[in-house]
Amino acid sequence: MEYRDYYKILGVERTATADEIKKSYRRLARKYHPDVSKEKDAESRFKEVQEAYEVLKDPEKRAAYDQLGSNWKQGEQFRPPPDWASGFEFRGGPRAGGRPGAGARYGGAAEDVFEDEGFSDFFSSLFGGAGAGGPFASAGGRRSRTGRDHHAGIDIDLQEAFAGTTRTLELKRPKLKSDGTLDLEPHTVKVTIPAGVAEKQLIRLAGQGEPAPNGGRAGDLYLEVHIRPDRLFHLEGRDVTLTLPVAPWEAALGGPVKVPTLAGAVEMNIPAGAQSGQKLRLRGRGLPGQPAGDQYVQLKVVLPQANSSEARALYEEMRRKLAFDPRADLVR
Amino acid sequence: MTDASELQVHLLDERDWIGATEVCHLCRIELTAVVELADLGIVSPRGYAPEQWQLPATELPRLRTVGRLMRDLGVNVSGAALAVELLEEQHHLERRLRRLERLVHENGSY
Repeated sequence: MEYRDYYKILGVERTATADEIKKSYRRLARKYHPDVSKEKDAESRFKEVQEAYEVLKDPEKRAAYDQLGSNWKQGEQFRPPPDWASGFEFRGGPRAGGRPGAGARYGGAAEDVFEDEGFSDFFSSLFGGAGAGGPFASAGGRRSRTGRDHHAGIDIDLQEAFAGTTRTLELKRPKLKSDGTLDLEPHTVKVTIPAGVAEKQLIRLAGQGEPAPNGGRAGDLYLEVHIRPDRLFHLEGRDVTLTLPVAPWEAALGGPVKVPTLAGAVEMNIPAGAQSGQKLRLRGRGLPGQPAGDQYVQLKVVLPQANSSEARALYEEMRRKLAFDPRADLVR
Repeated sequence: MTDASELQVHLLDERDWIGATEVCHLCRIELTAVVELADLGIVSPRGYAPEQWQLPATELPRLRTVGRLMRDLGVNVSGAALAVELLEEQHHLERRLRRLERLVHENGSY
């Protein structure tokens, strides 16, 4: 495993005061917090910062960490010396405070990146915690005899939201090791996401969170859905909007046109005299639900180019025969 | 690694209401904060005493965001509430902007 220089991560000197460490953490947390940051690697940076702060804010952990010495370099291959932390109290059980709020996943494509995923192997090897439910997991908010809930994000396409989809997720469940610490054991599950799931909607997988201590009820796994932007449809709640190019005569004379919907193409009647930008509604053609969303079709009149003698003649004829001035209200 | 087993899922929607205690647990947030958020109009609980409130499941994501902002950035309830509203507005505007940019890109102008 690689050594982590927590002082470097927080951008403070090894002699930094608790107040300086806190200030630096706040500044970096604001910069990389996945809810607010636009940085590319915000989530991983935020987790690093959290992990560093978890150690350096705690006098005992910091003292133990400092025992490793200052000669290590960030990224250097590392193995903790035997009994390196003897004399410190933090081994062997949960401590008040626990981890700071674990990083959320927003954006990205992996389904198996969990909000409550643990800190690095480096942290675990030093402080015994191995991810969610480890000895350093937060005691706050944990209900007695019930395992902690886990949360994750899941990215799907609009078409998958419409028709439903399945995903195979790799989950991790804590397993007690012989030395009394917890390890995370991977297992895969297949999840069917029902049709009609909306942006930010939650899916609950009962009993897939943390196992309960003493045989109580296991926590649940919550998946928060994020729908990727679609090439054709713009999603707003359960409604979708499609921009439909139409010819000038289709707009002027009206008539049936084929329109893509999430369920496939349908025929829609354009009213005579329709204008560019006008919105027509296909009721119930949005995302399924109670009630289902609608599809809005925004017309966009596209002009044929006058790039042949015949086309130019037709435009000339319109100019002569149609008393039409689109700027009549602007210029008098 | 074991073979993939199929799980039953429950889609939380507008018809699902969750008790305040459960909400606090899920969002890692204090009940007093939920009360303040209700006063600010960020959540819309039903019921009388806060301990017996129920909140729509659709409000859980924004409450979780509030909880994260409070824990991770050290902001108070009002600050987190304001941030959440601005983030949601930003998200909405970004989606609209992406759509308009695509229209402009496809058509040269709109």
